[in-house]
Amino acid sequence: MNHWAFIAAAYGLTALGTVGVLIWSYLDMRRAEKAVADLEKRK
Amino acid sequence: MHAYANPARFLKIARPLTPVFLGLGLLLVLFGSYAGLVLTPPDYLQGDSVRIMYVHVPAAWLGMGGWSGIAIASIVQLVWRHPLAGVSARAIAAPGALFTAICLITGSIWGRPTWGTWWEWDGRMTSMLILLFLYFGYMALANASDERTSVSRATAIFGIVGAVNIPIINRSVVWWNSLHQGPSITLRGSTISSEILWPLLPMVIGFSLLFGGIVLMRMRANLAEAKVEARMRRMAAS
Amino acid sequence: MKAKNQRLILALLGLVAVIGAGLLAVSGLKQEAAFFYAPGDVAANGLPLGKAVRLGGMVADKSIRHDADGVTIHFVVEDGKAQIPVTFKGIAPDLFKEKSGVVAEGEFQADGSFVASNLLAKHDERYMPPELKGKMHMTDSLKS
Repeated sequence: MNHWAFIAAAYGLTALGTVGVLIWSYLDMRRAEKAVADLEKRK
Repeated sequence: MHAYANPARFLKIARPLTPVFLGLGLLLVLFGSYAGLVLTPPDYLQGDSVRIMYVHVPAAWLGMGGWSGIAIASIVQLVWRHPLAGVSARAIAAPGALFTAICLITGSIWGRPTWGTWWEWDGRMTSMLILLFLYFGYMALANASDERTSVSRATAIFGIVGAVNIPIINRSVVWWNSLHQGPSITLRGSTISSEILWPLLPMVIGFSLLFGGIVLMRMRANLAEAKVEARMRRMAAS
Repeated sequence: MKAKNQRLILALLGLVAVIGAGLLAVSGLKQEAAFFYAPGDVAANGLPLGKAVRLGGMVADKSIRHDADGVTIHFVVEDGKAQIPVTFKGIAPDLFKEKSGVVAEGEFQADGSFVASNLLAKHDERYMPPELKGKMHMTDSLKS
């Protein structure tokens, strides 16, 4: 049995999950902190 | 302890720390992956499939470490009423669940070529699956309230009670006859030959840094959103 | 300050109680949660006849025999306490080797042998490159 297909699947999945949660958390943070900055400017 | 209770003071540290964690973590993980895929030799018995270990083990460590963090934050919240405890516990839940799922899936992918099965109801696998469900339960409880910067007392208690599962996962391969092999790395040393073992170190540290960066970003998002909501409420009242 | 200490003691007591209860429940499960029977368990407690079970242990050295039909294999599973002869018809996993771990799913026979319907390979916690294998096998200190 060729193991490399299994290895690629495991690494690909890990990369996908990690990058996914990184981007999601980053966008969430940027949107929220931008809202704070906008509020502070308006004041 | 309360020196960092002030979210403003926390943010002053968290802002510069976030890119450091993410950058260093990414570098270490990329290097560790290259080392684990290219530089290390295959295992005498498992062949190349042993390379799945380099993503499987950090994921397991973060899945279990994440819940330990939730449990500690829950105790801090219940005992000291520290204002950042709830924020951090809430921020850990989603990435903790993600890495638990990655651990289960990479383990399944590893099990097929080595053991000859995708899944068996053995003690280690079952207790790890329970951890994933505990995370789901925790997230549902935490999201049940609109409060962004804390979790309810019931949620904190759930975080502490769920920690019982962590030593069970850890000891499952020792207590019960299991398909999963016993612990390779113990206080007495490692049964993994050093040529195969070493990329695990940058991988575990790198993924931990990424995890820390993710938690910091999620804490910052929640603190900022709470700030906006509080301001809105005040403006509506006046 | 007083209330804080009270909460700390309460939290610690709760934690100890919860962990104690968990460990108690788990130790009660000890037999039921075992994934497989080892040959020694069977020798000590008798044959679990008439139900599908798993038998796990090491494949004894030089015990694998292939039948003429090409799909039936015979081998012996041992755990240092007892030995059990096993018959299996089918395709064994890649890692199924002598002096290596195996978990067989199937049924015990009245004569003490085991007929397997499925084989799983179980590897141990040792990982090493191929060229080290010979050396490591001589140092039995790592074997439990």
